[in-house]
Amino acid sequence: MNRFFPNTLILFVSSLFLDADVVSEKKWFSETPQNHADLNAIQDRLRLILSEAKKSLVAIESDDGAGSGVIVSEDGLVLTAAHVIGKTGKKMKVRLPNGKSLPAVSLGGSEISDAGMLKITKKGKWPHVQIEKMNSSKVGDWCFAIGHPGGFDKERGIIVRLGRVIGKTEDTLQSDSRLLGGDSGGPLFNLDGKVIAIHSRISKEPDQNFHVPIECFHINWDFYREGQLLTFDKLEEKGFLGVSCEATKDGLMILNVVEGSSAQKIGLQKNDILYSLDGEKLDSREELTILISGKKPNEAVTIEYHRGEKQLSLRVVLGERPTE
Amino acid sequence: MKILNQIILILLSTLPVHAYTDLNNSELLIASDRLNGSSIQNAFGSSKEVAIQATVRLLRNNKLIALGSIVHPSGYVITKASSCVGAREAETFDGEKYSLKIKKRYEETDLAIYKLETDKNSFQVIDWDVDCNTSEGSWVFAAHSNLEEIRIGVTSGLPRKIGREGGVMGVLLTTDTSKVKGVKISEVVPQAAAYRAGLLEGDIITEVDNRRVKNQDSLIKIIGKKDPGDVVRIEVNRKDEIRKFLVTLGHRSVTFDLFNRNLQMSGPVSKRKDNFEMIIQHDLPIGKESMGGPLFNLDGKCIGINIARVDRVSTYALPAYLPSKVIAPFLEKLP
Repeated sequence: MNRFFPNTLILFVSSLFLDADVVSEKKWFSETPQNHADLNAIQDRLRLILSEAKKSLVAIESDDGAGSGVIVSEDGLVLTAAHVIGKTGKKMKVRLPNGKSLPAVSLGGSEISDAGMLKITKKGKWPHVQIEKMNSSKVGDWCFAIGHPGGFDKERGIIVRLGRVIGKTEDTLQSDSRLLGGDSGGPLFNLDGKVIAIHSRISKEPDQNFHVPIECFHINWDFYREGQLLTFDKLEEKGFLGVSCEATKDGLMILNVVEGSSAQKIGLQKNDILYSLDGEKLDSREELTILISGKKPNEAVTIEYHRGEKQLSLRVVLGERPTE
Repeated sequence: MKILNQIILILLSTLPVHAYTDLNNSELLIASDRLNGSSIQNAFGSSKEVAIQATVRLLRNNKLIALGSIVHPSGYVITKASSCVGAREAETFDGEKYSLKIKKRYEETDLAIYKLETDKNSFQVIDWDVDCNTSEGSWVFAAHSNLEEIRIGVTSGLPRKIGREGGVMGVLLTTDTSKVKGVKISEVVPQAAAYRAGLLEGDIITEVDNRRVKNQDSLIKIIGKKDPGDVVRIEVNRKDEIRKFLVTLGHRSVTFDLFNRNLQMSGPVSKRKDNFEMIIQHDLPIGKESMGGPLFNLDGKCIGINIARVDRVSTYALPAYLPSKVIAPFLEKLP
């Protein structure tokens, strides 16, 4: 025992030092480079993780279009954009970087955030990457986009574009990595090699493109995985509460109450913070939309909320979405 | 014309406008700290200054049409030949203007050598690095066309040959099933080659350059062997009347731009972006008027000449070994 003790201690101490080194040398992660050494650190890091990241990229092909996606589990779960899958249960094809084509089926997603999922239906152990944890990516992080801009092209290969996260909200992440049609659904990585977002829409300004933050997938993972797709069309037929919100750390803060809606009739007010619906904790606006859209008009839901210091609860009968 | 369908099918975001999120409420990264912001440009240090000094603006009627790369201290520059037709004047970073004379043109690489008309013999020249590691994800930069800033990005994709595209008429075809032999035009691209020659939708192409065409493939084969600018004789059957036309073929990229939403979003692209022996690709945000200028690595060494703006995310550069080899015999003869 005595002989082991010093060894263990030394290991423990040295690992502490290692950690400290890693932290101080992670200058490539989110710092603004000052000189060639800093720029080289970013370049070396990118080169180091790029080849692994590329292995998990797929081109997605269906009858009516082409996009990109990224494999995130060994059994072939693919994250992409909702506008790439279109609808659930659709037979699609995904193409690995080596050109090999595999059968797949579309699962769920949301037209609101543009998050989408599909699954490779052939059995196998597919190359996959890790996704970043909730609330980890932030403005200023270095990132890189990969995808098949303009469609799959084996001779050209996968195209990488470096950039930084320039803005982030609950349901949109913006970067200055450049995108083009065909990139849709492809992954945005941080320099830890983890997926932080999925390419969604290009902006008129080439350096302000839009991505679906990975948080949108985390929050509604099971819903999407089970093949539920939230569409604007569906929302029209579903129940309607009548609030617009902003996510805060305590819950969803009401920014606005729609005139004549159920929310107004029952007395919900601006700045009330909604924290659960039928017992489910509310983390994002999209989650609220999904829960409400699971109900029909005239169905009732129980909402718990804070108003100032007070904790309140009420039961509200949903109305119909007003037609514009 | 199969490629056209593929191009149209490329999926683009069609989300309704109300799906756009207002990011005004969130903290945005300040412009100077973004990839092409001033802070990052400054991190390139003296490489940046040298790059700007070794690049020139090439003008026609006072309008920028291309950039040039200074390859000799007495004011010889190389540039993209097909972008530079009619260039009369060059402007350097210090605002000095010089008249220009073309000295040599290299068709294969689409390069041309020009001379700045002056006795000055102290221009900053590019420093070729023919053995540089340009593997994917390497920093690259080029002078902005204002010769004040630089534009930054990384290399991407595989170094490769870009094949020839051939000329196009600008028509969509269907093989006619009626008893008339030939290939029917189902659509004429507005303003393109066939349109200007007077061909119409519904015309059945029966002969090209006195050769019978039976189906789409044989027609595409004959036309595909020609270059943009070549003239072909087309014989068509128009409502049982034989008519003859001369069609001057166009560039594929230009002809089908109308149909290509990716290119619509990309802004103007280079006319010639095909038929290069070898290219490296990068994502610098530069326009087609920046072609012909040098591409640098972090150390300020010239690793290529920008030769074609392809789309919003892609520019091709000839790797340094190619242009330096092509112009070496010319430079050796200089005093």
